[in-house]
Amino acid sequence: MTTTHPPGGRTRAPDHAGDSPVTDGQASARPPTDRRSLLTRWAADLLMGARFAFAGGREGWIRAVLTAVGVGLGAALLLAAASVPEVMAARDARGAERSASNYGPQVEAGPDTVRVGQANTDFRDRPVTGLLVRPDGDGRPPVPPGLEKLPATGEMAVSPALRDLLESPGSELLRERLDHRITAVIGDEGLTGPQELMYYAGAEESDFATGYSYHLDAFGNQGAADDPMPPELLLLVIIICVVLLLPVMIFMGTAVRFGGERRDRRLAALRLVGADGRMVRRIAAGEAMAGALLGLAVGGGLFLLLRSSAESLVMFNMSVFAADLRPAPALAALIVVAVPVAAVAVTLLVLRGVVIEPLGVVRSAVPRRRRLWWRLVLPALGLLLLLPLAGGFASTTDAAATFQVAAGTVFVLIGCAGLLPWLVESVVHRMSGGPVPWQLAVRRLQLSSGTAARAVSGITVAVAGAVALQMLFSATQAENTEATGHDTSRAQMQVYADAEDAGAARELTDRLGAAEGVTGTIGYIQASATSQETGTAGSGEAGGYDAAQWTSIQVADCASLRELIAIGSRCADGDVFVTRPAGDDAPSALPGPAESQSWVRPGTTVDLRWDEEGMVAEDPVRWTVPDSAREVDSREDPLGGRQEGIFLTPSVLDTDMLQEPSAVAQIRVDPRNPDAPEHVRNAAAAVSPLVNVFTLHGSAENSLFTTIKRGLFIGATATLVLIGASMILSTLEQLRERRRLLSVLVAFGTRRSTMAWSVLGQTALPVALGLILAAVGGLGLGAVLLALVDLPLSVDWASLALLTGAGAAVVLGVTALSMPPLWRMMRPEGLRTE
Amino acid sequence: MTPPTTPPTAPAAGREPIPSATEAAASGALLSAEALHKTYGATPALDGASFAIHPGEIVAVMGPSGSGKSTLLHCLAGIVQPDAGTVRYQGRELSALSDAERSALRRGEFGFVFQFGQLVPELTCTENVALPLRLTGMGRKEAESRALAWMDRLEVADVGPKRPGQISGGQGQRVAVARALVTHPRVVFADEPTGALDSLNGERVMQLLTEAARSTDAAVVLVTHEARVAAYSDREVVVRDGVARDMAGVR
Repeated sequence: MTTTHPPGGRTRAPDHAGDSPVTDGQASARPPTDRRSLLTRWAADLLMGARFAFAGGREGWIRAVLTAVGVGLGAALLLAAASVPEVMAARDARGAERSASNYGPQVEAGPDTVRVGQANTDFRDRPVTGLLVRPDGDGRPPVPPGLEKLPATGEMAVSPALRDLLESPGSELLRERLDHRITAVIGDEGLTGPQELMYYAGAEESDFATGYSYHLDAFGNQGAADDPMPPELLLLVIIICVVLLLPVMIFMGTAVRFGGERRDRRLAALRLVGADGRMVRRIAAGEAMAGALLGLAVGGGLFLLLRSSAESLVMFNMSVFAADLRPAPALAALIVVAVPVAAVAVTLLVLRGVVIEPLGVVRSAVPRRRRLWWRLVLPALGLLLLLPLAGGFASTTDAAATFQVAAGTVFVLIGCAGLLPWLVESVVHRMSGGPVPWQLAVRRLQLSSGTAARAVSGITVAVAGAVALQMLFSATQAENTEATGHDTSRAQMQVYADAEDAGAARELTDRLGAAEGVTGTIGYIQASATSQETGTAGSGEAGGYDAAQWTSIQVADCASLRELIAIGSRCADGDVFVTRPAGDDAPSALPGPAESQSWVRPGTTVDLRWDEEGMVAEDPVRWTVPDSAREVDSREDPLGGRQEGIFLTPSVLDTDMLQEPSAVAQIRVDPRNPDAPEHVRNAAAAVSPLVNVFTLHGSAENSLFTTIKRGLFIGATATLVLIGASMILSTLEQLRERRRLLSVLVAFGTRRSTMAWSVLGQTALPVALGLILAAVGGLGLGAVLLALVDLPLSVDWASLALLTGAGAAVVLGVTALSMPPLWRMMRPEGLRTE
Repeated sequence: MTPPTTPPTAPAAGREPIPSATEAAASGALLSAEALHKTYGATPALDGASFAIHPGEIVAVMGPSGSGKSTLLHCLAGIVQPDAGTVRYQGRELSALSDAERSALRRGEFGFVFQFGQLVPELTCTENVALPLRLTGMGRKEAESRALAWMDRLEVADVGPKRPGQISGGQGQRVAVARALVTHPRVVFADEPTGALDSLNGERVMQLLTEAARSTDAAVVLVTHEARVAAYSDREVVVRDGVARDMAGVR
């Protein structure tokens, strides 16, 4: 039976606004013509898009959370980076405010001054900043920031971190050294960071007897001027910022595209029910914006979380006050605006390549092969910006040049990321055959390699940047690191102190020699002597002193003397030695060329005293080098220097005759006793906290360079963590999008291992190509950057291998972590999910 | 209205010459197509097909797989632009309309029911049905109230809060029918609306679709390859090798 209704035989049912179409004749009214204003329509579309960002139940929320966490991680890192200027400014300001250095004219002691001595020490590789203080009079001596008054004799004001350390078990050796009574805690305004170990100790007059001290009428930097940053270091800072932040931004661009395929299908469905092209773009923009805004909120939350826990973190001996960790307002505003705008821009850019048609999604870009020429534009532009500065950046202070370098570097690095999809496509296009997993991987990449390439583009940029940075670093390091010449096999520590008299100096060397864990000491008392004949006022070339008329006297036992001069076994108490002139290039412990001290010969009479201005004293103390003195060659001491002049064994001279003697001890410690250095420091501090103790190192770096390197390590750690986290999110998202396909494959019997290898192949191939590109791009960029600062080209291949290895390790780790969810998604039941 | 329980009788032998679709169409067609040509790559889908439908009429477009019937529907709905030929809706040529104008037609004048995949998986069923109304600017409450009324009529009100992934195929098609009709369209395009359903569910969907369409005086272009489904139509058009033939006289 056929139901027929003659065409035109019925009339159209009347409209009934708001009626329910439950029965015939009560058909629903047609919707009203859209009379909304343009603004209202835009707002409605954006809102609808925002709704889509979270719609879809659990699936929708998972996608939204993935996007939000991805964008949030990036935003948090950007906010942290935007806080660096504030952190550094606040840190520097507080450091300057409390500075006990006086770069201006020397301050004389007075009723309103304080005598200070730097009493810095170390405790198990952590630096402890200390200052001995003693008011010079009864007036109003200056008080450093963070204190209400100066600690009295025997008292100590400490930073909270030092207080905690002193109270904690295991710090007995430090308590022994800092044995003052704690009467105050230094306030935040007097500290550079919350975890800084610092103290002010009230000293007795006698504490200043050994060591250097001076007077202050105010705390805070006086007369100090900051040196401008050297160009190569400035360049390093710029590149570090670019290299660390670019992958973050690339990842944020990837995160806002999470769920892209599903979104495209949804937009197609919307087109079917009447949304026009502009509407779907607005809806997509609303969706991207909502995800980005949620991401910003998550990022803000993560940043606050980081901020609240920042005070307990110590990275590379740096800690930060939570109050200092605040983004620069302009940068924060830029982030808040730029993140959603960039998210919308990225989404709309992607939609340009995807025509959302009512019947589905047409990827307009698919049939065409990727073209190379426009991908070369960015790196070429970058090189065009960089190359004109070759050799000239070192001499420029122009801010425009700084921006030019930053822009050039950004272009080259982004160019690397842009080249990757072309490279992956070109390579996989030529591939075929192989086992099933490989075939699945290759075919998948041939079909759509963009997603895979995008996923690794962040790491490509990071590795390329790191390779360039590493080259710049290794070249700059040579300029900023000096070989100290220290021979750490002969001694690991040196103690030096200006002693009140030879007795005090001897006490110090004796104490050090007896300290626990000390296996050997090269100890000697050092003083100066001057020529009896010519060391008088007005006799020198400049109307003062002739440097040639000074020499030094070292008093030590034979064992120690053997470490300073080449005397072999021929030494006994009572012997005297003088050094023969050494070559010009031999380092000398005294200023001036080595010949300048060659005036001392057996039989020469020297003067052991001089007045405050360095002139021959009115009551000279003369001593004649015995004729029996042997002339010997000096040898390098463990610090790499050569001591010149007169060398005496203890019984030759009454050391009390020496003026302003110093005690020097180069100490060898038992490597099996990790606390040996602490015992040495305690032995030194027992004589005076002002005794200078330092550890010998093979090399020493420029402190600014060290700070930059430290910043790079902190930033690189954060970026690597972010990249790892982001890649996990990105891989999970890709797996989610392909869940149905995975289920289909499993449903007709594909082995899990086959799929796992195929997933690995899909990841590994773009990663391998990305790392090759990163290595080549990084080496090229590094070479150009070195040319900018006129440094020779050098490549540390081991570091290059390490960097690319680290990149590969991150990716492989991420792949391994994505296996469990892959197993879960490879259930045939997944077929039902859509 | 009682639905047919058996397929219509097959055309008798010794039939009259088959008229063209336009010849069969009476004057005053709501939607008509003339000499449509459409080629995908080197494959011709339509080769001079013509078609017309009047208000309230239900026309089944039949034909073997790959004959071009879906392409004809897409051209009629303004989703696909023909390479040659004209499509007129109420006297307006669709190819002359902008994308926004064609989208507006789809929003207000046309409704769609496909085999599958046309529902937005992120939205609940009620929200899906209300979507075309929301796109025209109608408030959420009113749009969802109308949507629920239609869903009630199509016997799927109970799945309103669920998402498309949580309901059966038959329920999904009924939700899609509700969405197609909620704007009170003048033409409903249905492309294999029962293709993914079992016969019982298919019958019920067709019953509800045609009943609802007739009650609102909507014309229905029904693409199907099943005679059982075509039996719900007033007239059949067969597409073969890209050419449409009206079977009214035959029937």
